[in-house]
Amino acid sequence: MFHWLEKHPFFFAVAVFLTIAFAGLIEILPNFAQASQPTVGTKPYSTLELAGRHVYIKNNCMGCHSQLIRPFKSETDRYGHYSLSGEYAYDRPFLWGSKRTGPDLMRVGNYRTTDWHENHMKDPAAVVPGSIMPAYRWMFKNTADIDTAYAEQVTVNKVFATPYNTEIPMADGTKATVALAGTLDEAKAAALEEAKVVAADMKDQDVKDAVAAGQIPEIVAMIAYLNSMK
Amino acid sequence: MNKTVLAAIVVVIAMLGFTYAAVGMAGGMGGEGDWVNKLAVLGAVVLVIVTSFVVTKYVRQMQFDKASGKLADENWDGIGEYKNELPFGWAIIFLGLIIWAIWYFLAGYPVGTYSQIGEYNEEVAAHDAKFEAEHANMDEETLKEMGGSIFIVQCAPCHGLQADGIDGKAANLNNRLEEKSVKHVIQNGSNNQLLGMEMPMPDRNGLMNANTGALISDAEIDAVSKYVAGGMKGTTGADVFAGACAACHGADGKGTEMVAPSIAVFNPTLVANVLKHGKKGAIGAMPAFNNLTEAQVKALGAYVTSLSK
Repeated sequence: MFHWLEKHPFFFAVAVFLTIAFAGLIEILPNFAQASQPTVGTKPYSTLELAGRHVYIKNNCMGCHSQLIRPFKSETDRYGHYSLSGEYAYDRPFLWGSKRTGPDLMRVGNYRTTDWHENHMKDPAAVVPGSIMPAYRWMFKNTADIDTAYAEQVTVNKVFATPYNTEIPMADGTKATVALAGTLDEAKAAALEEAKVVAADMKDQDVKDAVAAGQIPEIVAMIAYLNSMK
Repeated sequence: MNKTVLAAIVVVIAMLGFTYAAVGMAGGMGGEGDWVNKLAVLGAVVLVIVTSFVVTKYVRQMQFDKASGKLADENWDGIGEYKNELPFGWAIIFLGLIIWAIWYFLAGYPVGTYSQIGEYNEEVAAHDAKFEAEHANMDEETLKEMGGSIFIVQCAPCHGLQADGIDGKAANLNNRLEEKSVKHVIQNGSNNQLLGMEMPMPDRNGLMNANTGALISDAEIDAVSKYVAGGMKGTTGADVFAGACAACHGADGKGTEMVAPSIAVFNPTLVANVLKHGKKGAIGAMPAFNNLTEAQVKALGAYVTSLSK
């Protein structure tokens, strides 16, 4: 058989491919399947958080900020526990990033608050002297796209069976449930409720007024997303 | 003399000529120059000569050598293979390598013993042990110094490098309390676990002024807020403090254990509790900082306490 293969380069190449592919399958896939299971405490995004995630992507935050804490002492000291694959189970796409111009944001919700983000997005250098991050003032004016966020929720729920409306075990032993609204209007109402909680901790009067009037500025969605990163 | 040897000699002469042109007599080929240069040039010369003659030897071998031995049965497109024995030295090295490989996989560096996380864990454990040994008994100065450097990393993003709270974006740690914070707490009550446990303070509807026997009034709140924020100096508001606050916070405002926190000065216990539980008040919310080690919390306590003195 080997002589035959040696005389037929095409089938030889096919045999090489099959051998390597088989090795890859049995070595990589089981581990991958196990590691990509959601870790305890990882839950799907709510509508508002997902809208904030879209703002994050739209403004290309991952161009400067990573979301991947490497297992180096210098990083875990600064950002918290190193990242686990399962923590990205509901990230579509994941936003690991690789250009670490700014700090890692994987667990920014643990050590920054709503009002800090508000100050910082308006004028980064005012809170972090020497920061080269630009101000994102338009986020205070643009309205967040709840429609798309809801559409994504419905899609990932249907296609990938993302566990909305399901009890999810949390790290402290409790259960959490992330609701998926039945209709777009319900989703908008739920997002607005979430937005009110965020806006209550904010100081910008225009943002507060907008939320009170039923609008959700991008900054509110963005902060909801940042606060959810733990 | 055949053509190959001639070519080798020509190459050697050409290369030596090139070396001479490049470094010259002064560079090392002559009596001048330091010994490092001489050694380098000597090495180059030897390399040129040896390479040329080794190449010549093998080229001649390919040209004229006749192989001998028994041919294997099969051939590939007319190219055959001799059934010669493996040279003894090669065979020894080959067997030795197989034995070494078995040792390497099973004992030397067993398969599956390396993990990145394992290396990380070892690194952290080693660092923690060293840190604890080095900082087991820190004096006040070391604590403050360490606290200062932790402050820059963990606290300064909100409280500012000068700990002034960056124009009201966070608490100004150079004073224990600001007027608006005191007012906020009196009006809304507080349950910030500053004592490390649930010990809620009532809002204004539960604050009696013992001097008047009535609930604390707006004017009294203003007065006492100024008094507390001003470092408990002067007389304005002192009577309200004595009547409404001192019962729990102490006459000097330094707090009573298990009952009320100090509102006159920072102390390390207070700082530690804020770091552990976070805080929410008039200015905004502060998250908990549970990633700090015990020594770091102690150091921050010493540093923050020293700021307002």
